[in-house]
Amino acid sequence: MNRRHWIRSGIALVLFGLTHSAAGQDDPGKENMGQVSVVVYYATNSDPKAAGAKVARVSQKTQDRLRAEQHLKFKSYRLLGEDLQPLLRSYESWAQPLKPSDEVLVKFEARSLATEAMVTLDVELWLSRKKILKTDARLEGKRSLYILGPEWRGGRLIIAVALAEKSKLGS
Amino acid sequence: MNTIPDEAKLALWLDDELEGDDLATFEAWVSSQPQHLVAREEVRQWRALMASAVPASEEPPYPDFFNSRIAQAIREPAPKIPAAAVRRPFWKTLLMPVTACAGMVLAFWVGAKSQKATPEYIVEGAPRAIPVEPLVYTPENGVEAEWFSSDVSSMVIVLNGVRAIPDAMDFSASTYVPNEREFDSTAENRSTSPANLNP
Repeated sequence: MNRRHWIRSGIALVLFGLTHSAAGQDDPGKENMGQVSVVVYYATNSDPKAAGAKVARVSQKTQDRLRAEQHLKFKSYRLLGEDLQPLLRSYESWAQPLKPSDEVLVKFEARSLATEAMVTLDVELWLSRKKILKTDARLEGKRSLYILGPEWRGGRLIIAVALAEKSKLGS
Repeated sequence: MNTIPDEAKLALWLDDELEGDDLATFEAWVSSQPQHLVAREEVRQWRALMASAVPASEEPPYPDFFNSRIAQAIREPAPKIPAAAVRRPFWKTLLMPVTACAGMVLAFWVGAKSQKATPEYIVEGAPRAIPVEPLVYTPENGVEAEWFSSDVSSMVIVLNGVRAIPDAMDFSASTYVPNEREFDSTAENRSTSPANLNP
């Protein structure tokens, strides 16, 4: 192996090192800026047992909050499911609150730099694998975005999207 | 029998290029065709005119000089190929690739630094004096959405015209089971006590 081969090998090694280090850098777009929770409630003015025998009640505080909204006033509320997904800096996230069913999916993506107190999101609601709604939402603290959704078993589904408190997050 | 000659023979005859038996045959036929005789006469006159205007051949300018240069090039021996280039020192051979690599490293470093230097815009304290209406879009036909602002929540969107979920669909498998890692900020204070579960 002559000197020319050594030079070529050295250049190849340096280029490989550069590309490897560039690929190994953390993608800043995957930075986790927070967590978003998506909760699905069953709201009805008839017997809430229609949702199922093991469906959990919601707290009185949450019931009061829901009833405070004119369009979300129902006699009974039940909790059907929830999901918590990270809010990434430049990637979209999907929440599947009714696992394993994909009947209700929520896609969200940050529109601004998120803080613990506020974030603006692009939100999409997918029902039965069809995009039903697209909107932008400014979520502040515990104030949720509520979507009064489809009918089911004599009631309506309410989808709540909110920033999750970081102090309550698991690692 | 068709005695009229074809167009190709006529063209050759007009150019005086027809020969032999063909010429004799054609002349016999064309003697009764005065228009062709007139045409051939015009072609002949045109050819004579062109011959008088354009020389048949033209010598290149300065032919002696041109030929002498060719003869000189033939006589003189081919120039000697210079000897192989003097071998450069090893460090000079390495200089260019090392400089290129250093340049690439510098470019990566500057790029990384400039990326980190991008200012972060905190919009938490942004003024809200100007209310901005949210965009609400329903791509599905027949589905309408109304949005309502609220003091309690961020926003309430009411969907109308959405296809109902079949009652046969069961979500009991996804029923929420509270645990120590409760995270939802919209459904707090849930308890695992049996009293909070429907019978």
